[in-house]
Amino acid sequence: MQLDFQTREITVKLVYYGPALSGKTTNLQAIHHLASPEARGRLMTLETRDDRTLFFDLLPLTFKQGALQVRIKLFTVPGQVMHAATRRLVLQGADGVAFIADSQRAETRANAAAFADLRKNLEENALDITSLPLVIQFNKRDLPDVRTDAELEQLAKLGKEPVFKAVATRGIGVAETFLGLFDLTWAKLEREHGFAAKFGIDATTLHGDIARQLGVGSPGSGSTPPEARR
Amino acid sequence: MTEVPVTRPELGDVSRLDDIIDRDALGEVCRSFFELFGLPIRVISADGNMLANAHADREICGYVNGTLGGRTSCQQTVSAVRRLIPDDEAGTIHACFTGAVYRAVPIRYQGRTLGRFIVGPYLPAETREVPRSLLLVDQRIDATRAREALEEMPRVKVETAERIAAHLRGMLDLILFSGHKAHLTTEMHLLSVRESYRELAEKNSELQRAYDQLQELDRLKSNFLATVSHELRTPLTSILGYSEMLTAGLTGPLTAEQMDFIGTIHNKGELLLKLISSLLDLGKLEQGHLALQIDTLDPVLLLKDLRETVAPVAQKKGIVVEVVAPESPLPPFRADPLRLRQVLGNILDNAIKFTPRGGTVTLAVRPTTLDAGEDGDGFGRALLAVPRTSLEFRVSDTGMGIPEREHEKIFQAFYQVDGTSTREHGGTGLGLSIVKRLVDAHGGHIRIESAPGRGTTFFVTIPEAE
Repeated sequence: MQLDFQTREITVKLVYYGPALSGKTTNLQAIHHLASPEARGRLMTLETRDDRTLFFDLLPLTFKQGALQVRIKLFTVPGQVMHAATRRLVLQGADGVAFIADSQRAETRANAAAFADLRKNLEENALDITSLPLVIQFNKRDLPDVRTDAELEQLAKLGKEPVFKAVATRGIGVAETFLGLFDLTWAKLEREHGFAAKFGIDATTLHGDIARQLGVGSPGSGSTPPEARR
Repeated sequence: MTEVPVTRPELGDVSRLDDIIDRDALGEVCRSFFELFGLPIRVISADGNMLANAHADREICGYVNGTLGGRTSCQQTVSAVRRLIPDDEAGTIHACFTGAVYRAVPIRYQGRTLGRFIVGPYLPAETREVPRSLLLVDQRIDATRAREALEEMPRVKVETAERIAAHLRGMLDLILFSGHKAHLTTEMHLLSVRESYRELAEKNSELQRAYDQLQELDRLKSNFLATVSHELRTPLTSILGYSEMLTAGLTGPLTAEQMDFIGTIHNKGELLLKLISSLLDLGKLEQGHLALQIDTLDPVLLLKDLRETVAPVAQKKGIVVEVVAPESPLPPFRADPLRLRQVLGNILDNAIKFTPRGGTVTLAVRPTTLDAGEDGDGFGRALLAVPRTSLEFRVSDTGMGIPEREHEKIFQAFYQVDGTSTREHGGTGLGLSIVKRLVDAHGGHIRIESAPGRGTTFFVTIPEAE
């Protein structure tokens, strides 16, 4: 998190992590597509010729809250194993992490390996996984031979993080995952920095604002913000 | 509540226009805009740096600057325009006393204002008269002359000016985006390389530490080997000495059975002594402590002498040991006679051990030359090879042979081709590793020609000591 008193900006950094080809970039593309023009910046992708992420993707989002600007920077990491150094660099100073997993059964090992990699890189960046806002998204729900909803619910109960289901290519579950991560992150930042008291930013208003700009119904009109579990 | 942390530049963050913009490219874009629309363009960063300035001196400007009042007013206008902070996306208008206007438009990127661009001066399309403010600025200003000069200034409608500004803003946005992208790519390249380097350096130092530890362990092992062998030898010498004294009858006559028992004690003691000596040799060789005692020797005599030594064992097994000497007599040869004897003796012992009853073991020697650097890959041999007078010793047997895949391994310490052979034939598995090291110590080399069932030949080439 960065706070600039001069320009009255709060910048929050959220990182999309996960195994290669799990749909991290697709998540950002979907958010870019959903977000209103005044909220979204250009989606920057630093990719190789075969469309694989080389360094990262970056989507800046900006939400005005009175005199204050809340800037959210969404990053993806390159999933391919060889880009370990880049993943570690992108993870530096992350305020929250969305882990994008591939729902296909065949990808179970790759998911687990990427999560172990996340743990290691968090450690190397002196980030504590027990206090870092983290959500898990099971993407590619539309593919054959994926884990069933019942299985995912069972798995979600085992873990501590909120679990979301998504089909990022069709934009399904993408905004929910993002909002879920943002709420957890904001709740933690609020606890640490007291934005409500300092700048009069109300978490519910901010959530509603972001949801509206992403084209998601405001709280009470269908989609409710996921409860922060920790 | 904790203190707000000190902020530092974040990955992907842009706070200064200068960081991500290519000034030359920006200058070219502004100049082509100026040429296309005839409107001067200036780009100024948030901290006041002029990053691009595309304009041409207007006749009216030259005219008013020729007067004292005009010059003063012009300077005031220009500095006011440069300090102008626009508060509107479409731009803020600043009027000049000549009736012309400047339009300042903010440059925003990722929700931040990084600077502004200024379009103008141009005349609003509806301007008809020479404004009073121009005539009042200095009494030397002539209305007709001023009108003529103003005629040449571009006239722009408000909507057109807004469109042009929006167009330029869009272009700048693209330039910023691609500049930012290039900037980030470079930054990430550097950071990734640095991070990978850090990781490698860390791994390297870990490996170095492990290597140092291993070396230390190796040194300890050799020391241990040397010390233990030495300590074992001392009491063993006493055992052998006293059993010899008993056999010699120094304590009175012994019965046949007692003699037999003491003989066994003595034989086993000798075996143990050989083993310990081998260990000691290996230890010394590993540490590189073995010094050769160079002397002259007669190679054929050495072979004949070796044949005499093994004759009793060979006879018992019904094996013929032949010595093949070259036709012309060999001159005396300089080497370590004791160690060379140890090398050939060891190979000969093995040959007899592994040759079945009725077989033949041949000892041969011939003069040859050995090139220094013969073990290399062959490049530069013409430069490196210094032929040295050498002797090639050959020990052939008609035994079981050694499979080719084992040819390298048999020179490793404690290695035996067939684990069962230790029980059948005895030995420690140290012999050939010591042989190899002794040959190396002479600067020579050893090789095998063998195939299962077709016997084995060891070739030992020793260069003459200088």
